[in-house]
Amino acid sequence: MKVVVRAFARFREVVGDVNTLDIPEGSGIQELLTALGARSHECRDLLFDEEGRVREHIIVMVNRRRLARNAIASTVLSEEDEVAIYPPVAGG
Amino acid sequence: MITITEENFDPGAFIDAARERQVGGIVTFTGIVRDDGITSIELEAYHEAALQELGAIRDEALSRFDIRSVDIIHRVGTLEVGDHIVLIVVGSPHRGDAFRACEYIIDRIKETVPIWKKEYTAEGSRWVPGEHS
Repeated sequence: MKVVVRAFARFREVVGDVNTLDIPEGSGIQELLTALGARSHECRDLLFDEEGRVREHIIVMVNRRRLARNAIASTVLSEEDEVAIYPPVAGG
Repeated sequence: MITITEENFDPGAFIDAARERQVGGIVTFTGIVRDDGITSIELEAYHEAALQELGAIRDEALSRFDIRSVDIIHRVGTLEVGDHIVLIVVGSPHRGDAFRACEYIIDRIKETVPIWKKEYTAEGSRWVPGEHS
């Protein structure tokens, strides 16, 4: 299935602003981030810590709804979902 | 009005527009680019999500405080020292709720609205770290 990944600010500079990823049916955020991380060392270091855990400061939105930190591991994606990943915000 | 724009804005025009018969006070917050030894800043937004979040913050403020109106205008793009970044205009029957609502809105913007700043200096550039994760 295809999902769209949008990245912003520092994350955009590493991952690219819009990516369409083809991932297996039933995949979740964890699998999506792993697929993104496999693209380069820079991507992996951006998304995962030394123990392979998703970094604490990463914010994830699915279809413009922000996921709680503890929902990242359990959220399953569907065809054409829009996932956004970004660092803590700094507007205002 | 809730807007994200590359265009500059006139705070006075928004203050005038907030006048109505039941409004006894209008409180505004204007964020501007401070000279921290920078040459410019660039503001980036997840536009659709940021608009949605600004609208949600306005609705929260309208339900929490005794206020009549909320306008939020946030700039994106390249800005220089002294340029406007953000404007919040709150119209209320009384000053207390107008002040409290205005502070609530700017604090919530800094917590949740997906907008980022990159600072440019003579030496290079850096992303401004967010205060909340």
